[in-house]
Amino acid sequence: MGFYIFSYFCAFIFLAAVACRVYRQLTLPVHLRWEIYPVQHEPTDKLVHGGSYMEDLNWWEKKLKSSLFNELKYMAPEILLLRGLWKENRSLWWVSFPFHFGLYLMIATFALLILHALLVLGGGEAYVAGGVIGALLGGLIVFMGWTGLILGVVGSFGTLFRRLADPALRAYSSFPDYFNILLVSFFFLSAFIACLLVDPLLIGAKAYVFGLLTGGRSLNAYAPAESVFGGAAILLASALAAYVPLTHMSHMFMKFFFYHKIKWDDAPNLRGGGIEDDILKNLRLKPTWNAKHIAADGRKSWADLASSAPKETK
Amino acid sequence: MKKHLKPSDMAMSADCLCPIESGDLSPLPFPYEDFNSRTISPLNPEKVKNLETSLDNTLAVGIPKPASKEEEEVLIRQFLCGLKKLFEKENNWTFLQQLLLSMEHCAKCQTCSEACPVYEMSGKKDIYRPMFRAEVLRRIYNKYLKPGGKITARLTGGIDLNWTTVARLAELSYRCTLCRRCAMACPIGVDNGLITHEIRKLFSQEMGISPKELHEKGTIQHLRVGSSTGMNPLGAKDSIEFIQEEMEEITGYKVEIPWDVEGADILLIHNAGEIISWPENVGAFAIIFQAAGLSWTLSSETAGYDAVNYGVWYDDVQLSRVALRHADIARRLKVKKIVVGECGHAHKALIETADRILTGEINIPRESALVTLEDIVLGGKLQLDPRRNDFPVTLHDPCNYVRLMGIVEPQRRILRKIAPRFREMTPHGVDNYCCGGGSGFAIMSGYNFAEWRNLVSSRKKFLQILNAFENESQAAPKYVCAPCSNCKGAIRDILSYYHAGERSSLYYGGLVELIVNAMESMKKPIIHFGDQPSWT
Ligand code: SF4
Ligand code: SF4
Repeated sequence: MGFYIFSYFCAFIFLAAVACRVYRQLTLPVHLRWEIYPVQHEPTDKLVHGGSYMEDLNWWEKKLKSSLFNELKYMAPEILLLRGLWKENRSLWWVSFPFHFGLYLMIATFALLILHALLVLGGGEAYVAGGVIGALLGGLIVFMGWTGLILGVVGSFGTLFRRLADPALRAYSSFPDYFNILLVSFFFLSAFIACLLVDPLLIGAKAYVFGLLTGGRSLNAYAPAESVFGGAAILLASALAAYVPLTHMSHMFMKFFFYHKIKWDDAPNLRGGGIEDDILKNLRLKPTWNAKHIAADGRKSWADLASSAPKETK
Repeated sequence: MKKHLKPSDMAMSADCLCPIESGDLSPLPFPYEDFNSRTISPLNPEKVKNLETSLDNTLAVGIPKPASKEEEEVLIRQFLCGLKKLFEKENNWTFLQQLLLSMEHCAKCQTCSEACPVYEMSGKKDIYRPMFRAEVLRRIYNKYLKPGGKITARLTGGIDLNWTTVARLAELSYRCTLCRRCAMACPIGVDNGLITHEIRKLFSQEMGISPKELHEKGTIQHLRVGSSTGMNPLGAKDSIEFIQEEMEEITGYKVEIPWDVEGADILLIHNAGEIISWPENVGAFAIIFQAAGLSWTLSSETAGYDAVNYGVWYDDVQLSRVALRHADIARRLKVKKIVVGECGHAHKALIETADRILTGEINIPRESALVTLEDIVLGGKLQLDPRRNDFPVTLHDPCNYVRLMGIVEPQRRILRKIAPRFREMTPHGVDNYCCGGGSGFAIMSGYNFAEWRNLVSSRKKFLQILNAFENESQAAPKYVCAPCSNCKGAIRDILSYYHAGERSSLYYGGLVELIVNAMESMKKPIIHFGDQPSWT
């Protein structure tokens, strides 16, 4: 039961940390524009050269076009295959890609394990007894799990090696950087050994996830602590889920904000529009910058300061 | 000297943390090998004896050394106070989201380093890595402003905060051109250019520390006198009158430049540096607009004839003040739109960055001159003979409106129509390299900073220019088209520093000059290569 309690606790931390991060981003004030081109939601005729609507004569008189298809066409290989890294830093890609893709496959395997548990709960004995869906799902779980574990082991130890071997990376790495990679590496390694030695068909994993959904009622009476490596994998996976959103590794999902709220945020401020309302709110904020030329006193608003001329030079 | 400098070394006591020595810089090809052993001339010890000079071989800001330990402590406290304000919405709503995301998600993978021309050309000096200064700021923030930071810093990699760290960081924020090539390359989206921008703001907005070319002689003078060049409205009108006469003399075409026309369709704002250094650019605009029959005007109001906005590089309040002034002048003139001349940072400041400062009736539509010009040239409003531009031409892409605003093709469509021997640099468009004069560097030349710029930050652009013309003979005149005043200034300086006019017959200029040069109604060419007219 201790394993389950630990997993529930970690899941709670995960959800709370993700919620905090996302909530904070959503409640930040609208900022000045700072996009970088190409902006991937531009229509194809612009996107091919990295152009924007500002290339058009009197663009404000036209309806702005945007392409969700182009955006998805970019995002899918960027997220799944780390296309940016492939383009900009190929030698790192060879270790970073298996590292990340291994993690994605673990998440996907976990999702399939939940699906499996739900089917068992919904379909009961009939589903467990067999059938095409059960066999397909079981096969997929084994395939994804194993591929993810192999890629993960290669990628995480490769990343660790790169960080240690490359003097430029080593010079900027501190304890948490190594700790993070080690945590992931040990998870992959323990899960890999557990599967290799005692659970090649991921039956134990299925049982544990079923147990997670049923308050500790394990399928097939599986007890994770029976296998040291299996137990370690469960503990490390749970800890990792709680830990990732607390660290810079949250870039895995925070990348959304980097792209949509900054790099591609080209929404113009049109008179009477929603952005204008937000700006007006911001202009009422009262800064306290101390340099004399700013002349802030905590009472004057941004609008006051921006419409005044600097009296002092410094 | 240590081989690899770490962020914590910023606090290390050393006369010069990272000297650039002879032979360190990335090599240049024939016929410029004699520059490969060249390094930056030493700072004049008399001139800098009271200044903090311990970062590298140059000075951009020139911060006075504190007179006492107490003064040092006050300055450190001010720094921390400013740093805290960067993370408060009241003080930094303008860039808070960008800053938070970039501060919290760097994976220290160094992908950005390979994208940075300053780092690459410096011979890969650690302090010029894009993430180096970001990491210094991150460590100071984590250690000194986060709860429990002093304890966690033992694990996360600390840094000592002394006056040397602070002063070096201020200087280091002026070794980056804010080209944001690193941000484009970062697989996560972390923007080290942005962090540099925020460091500059902290120093300016909290401590009143900034290069005098950007502040005293820049935005302050701009708002007080009317232009960062020091030119007042009367001086501007006189100069423009002179340009009118000159244009007729040079091209044989009579042009009238309109001032303060209420209700004109277009308020055209130039970088006033053009009026002083490249009057033919201002004249060429006037010829094109007149020949195309546009309704347009210049403004003689204070700041109305100078589109620059140096605030975009170092101070959000100054940025807002200048942008508001420009927009308000346009409102009072009742024009339909503002057209920004060939000035990259003015484009970015007024059209894009300030877009979320201008509200209500001062939110006047704003457009790039390149777009207006494309409509004229491709819309058949001028009679053009491209054979008049029968010389090799390459195009420089100003970061500010290309990578940072997506204005990429209008200038190319024009060139394809008027310059038959146009060829691209490699890489170009949004992948371009900065001219090395970005973020104010083109106008900063105190101490020996211009030399640092020519040798380090502009070096990549020089190589790109040479490569673009590698199949041409050294003697054939070649034209580098740089449709941006600051880029043009930086390119002028590199061509002169490396004697590229004499050695490779390299010349430079704007886009409008090429258009006018191809206009059939011109009796004489506007472009000359030294004493030689470009056509007869
Ligand atoms: S800024 Fe981006 S590219 Fe540079 S080290 Fe950090 S994560 Fe890597
Ligand atoms: S903004 Fe440009 S100059 Fe500055 S660090 Fe990034 S790539 Fe280098």
